[in-house]
Amino acid sequence: MSEKVVSEESGTTTSVVIGAKSRADATPAFGTPDVLKGRRVLGMVPGKPLAGDRKDPAEDDMVMVFPHLLVRHAVAAMSILLAVLVIAIFFDAPLRAIANPTVTPNPEKAPWYFAALQELLAHFHPLIAGVLIPGAIIMGLVALPYIDRSLFILTSHRKVAVATFTTFMVVWIALTIVGFAFRGPNWGWVWPWQEWHGEL
Amino acid sequence: MDVRNTADTDLIDRVRETRVGRSIWRTPRRVTPRDRAAAHWSSFLLHIYPVKVRKEELSFQYSWYLGVISTVLFASLAASGVWLMFFFVPSPGQAYTNIQTLQTEVPFGQYLRNVHRWSAHLMVLAVAMHMAKVFYRGAYKAPREFNWVIGVILLVMTLLLSFTGYLLPWDQLAYWAVTVGTEMAAYVPFAGEKVQSILMGGNTVGQATLIRFYVLHVAVLPIFLTIGITFHLWRWRKDSMLDLDRGEPNV
Repeated sequence: MSEKVVSEESGTTTSVVIGAKSRADATPAFGTPDVLKGRRVLGMVPGKPLAGDRKDPAEDDMVMVFPHLLVRHAVAAMSILLAVLVIAIFFDAPLRAIANPTVTPNPEKAPWYFAALQELLAHFHPLIAGVLIPGAIIMGLVALPYIDRSLFILTSHRKVAVATFTTFMVVWIALTIVGFAFRGPNWGWVWPWQEWHGEL
Repeated sequence: MDVRNTADTDLIDRVRETRVGRSIWRTPRRVTPRDRAAAHWSSFLLHIYPVKVRKEELSFQYSWYLGVISTVLFASLAASGVWLMFFFVPSPGQAYTNIQTLQTEVPFGQYLRNVHRWSAHLMVLAVAMHMAKVFYRGAYKAPREFNWVIGVILLVMTLLLSFTGYLLPWDQLAYWAVTVGTEMAAYVPFAGEKVQSILMGGNTVGQATLIRFYVLHVAVLPIFLTIGITFHLWRWRKDSMLDLDRGEPNV
């Protein structure tokens, strides 16, 4: 197979040798591309027709970031910004009474993203719930790509990794919801539609 | 082909053609895809992006744009946060009254505090979802393992930023949430009390804790997070030139 360099400038697929001055110079002998005197060939890539010339463009075709990706990112950016600006109109950030070291609120609630840890703290020794479990989760996440070294990327080809991750994620979300919305005074069970103790 | 002085030339093209325009953009002619790639490559604003991406990467379903969303929320937090700093003194005697004054007397004070608060909660959510999305897409696989590790560090930093900011209003919610959080540090084996006293600057949450959390929140953590995001995006751009995510083994 002859090596080709794709030139996009002409809008069509051409085989040229780097450093060639004209199309005539560039016609390569089969399998052995010419190199003009005084020029170095820096690299060769296998020939591949341009996306526009192909009958059915594939998903792995390369497209220009400007404008295709940029316009989508701009829409995503403005949408989330609009969402925040609208939420901030209708919902005020909470401000309770001034901090008082002598009055402990009941329940004492950590921020929602630590609610799962706080829920674990109610069941296990603080060394386990507050130090070992969060430490193990972070180390496990860091180590994940070095443990799961199979090169398959489709979820159907890596069932063990997907099942493990999904299990942890579901348990974590459940603990967060319980700690955030289902816990009341003395960390006792409450139904959120009867008593609301969640704090944002 | 020369685009100069043609009828369908945009104003921006004519500006680029001027002597000053050419000194700024350096690649004034935008005719072929190669010209446009060269222009992209030499643009400072676009340098965080690759010139081309796989078509598949454009779709909402591919990423849910969670990386962009996290970054935008961080920008919103930086902007509203700097503004809030003008009205805030990190001292137990003043912090709470500062927030009350901000909410009642400063124009748009309550509104910008709301923007900061909800951006913070949404950023934690967006970063966590970004991680899950990357996991299910298998985008942590070789050779991108280390960018996943940087991402985990960014998630931890996001949580720490949110947690340090939680104390600043100095109300009951802030005070007791941070008391619960820092008490956990006391259970770190061997050095627990040391860790706790370093975090709190004493035995209880007080002035020393507030100034520590404040400096971490407005300077140390944002700087490290910015550096981390820069590194994360740099590796993303470099790796975008690889042929990945085909549903077959990456070889």
